[in-house]
Amino acid sequence: MIFNLYIFDRSGTCVYYSEYHRPRKATLSQDEEFKLTYGMLHSIKSFVTRISPKPVREGLHYYKTSTYKLNYFETLTGLKIVLNTDPGVGDIHDLLQQIYSQIYVEYVVKNPLCTPGEKITSELFETRLNALITSLPYFAT
Amino acid sequence: MTSAAGAINLLSQAAPSEVAESVFDFLHMEMVNYVQQSTPAGASHKDEVVYKLERIGFQTGQATIERCTKDVHRFKDQLDVIKFLCKEFWTLAYGKQIDNLRTNHRGVYVLQDNRFRVFANISNSKQFLENAAPYAAFACGMLRGALANLGIVSVVTADLGQTLPSCLFQVKML
Repeated sequence: MIFNLYIFDRSGTCVYYSEYHRPRKATLSQDEEFKLTYGMLHSIKSFVTRISPKPVREGLHYYKTSTYKLNYFETLTGLKIVLNTDPGVGDIHDLLQQIYSQIYVEYVVKNPLCTPGEKITSELFETRLNALITSLPYFAT
Repeated sequence: MTSAAGAINLLSQAAPSEVAESVFDFLHMEMVNYVQQSTPAGASHKDEVVYKLERIGFQTGQATIERCTKDVHRFKDQLDVIKFLCKEFWTLAYGKQIDNLRTNHRGVYVLQDNRFRVFANISNSKQFLENAAPYAAFACGMLRGALANLGIVSVVTADLGQTLPSCLFQVKML
C-alpha cells in the first residue's frame, strides 16, 4: 500500500505533498509536519554517512518500522522524493527515479510556468504522477 | 539567435548523432523569460513581448527555410507552400507534422497542432492558458519568416482558444 509522498527541494521546502492512504492523521499542522519530516531526514542522512563503516555512495535508501516503510531518493541536485509505503513493499528505488526523470523533470523543470523553489501547482504534473502511482500493483493492497 | 530551432534539427539530420531537444526547449524558455523581464511594464507590455519574440522567430524562420528548401522542387502554388510548411518545416522545427490544415481559399489558412511541443509540458487543461500566449509567438514568427523567404507576405497569429497542448496558427496572406 502507498501512503503518501513528499517532494522536498534543496533548501528543504516541501514543494509537493500528496496523500493516497493515510489511516492515521498527523496531530500537527501540515507545515510543521513538513519541517519535522525534513529535519528528521536531514539528521538520518548525516547520521548514516558518519556512522557508516564503509565509504558512503548513496547513503539513505529507506527505513522501516513495524507500520510503514519510508523510501528515500535524492538527486544530485538535492531534490528529495520521499514515499511512504507499507513495510511489505520491496525495493522501489527505480520507481522514485522514474518519478524524478519522467514526471518531475518533464512537467516541472520543462514547464516554464513552474517557478523553481515554489509549490508545484501544475495540474498536468499531478495528473501524470497520480496516474503512475495508482497504476502500481501495490497501490491499494 | 538565427539558428536556434532549425540548426539543432538540421544538425541531427545531417549526422545521425543525437542532439538533446531539451537544449532548444530550455533556450526557448529563457528567451521568453528574458524578453518578458527586459520589456518595460505598461499597457502594451504583452503586445510588445509577443512582437519581440515574433521578430526573433521571423529571422529564425527565414534562415531555417533557406536551409531546408535547398533540395526541394519549385512549389506549384500557395497551398503547396503551406503544405510544405505543415509537413517538412514543422517536423524540422517541432518534431511532428501539423495535424489539421484548413483554408477559406482566399488567403487564410488555419494550421492546427493538437500537441504543440512548447505547450506539451505546460498543461493539458485550461490551467496556465492565459500565461501561455508568449510561448507561441516564436513559432508564429518562424512561420511568417519562412513564408517571407518564399516570397509570401503574411500575418501569423496564434490562437489558444481551447485547452492547452493544442494550438491554432492563423496565417493570413496580405
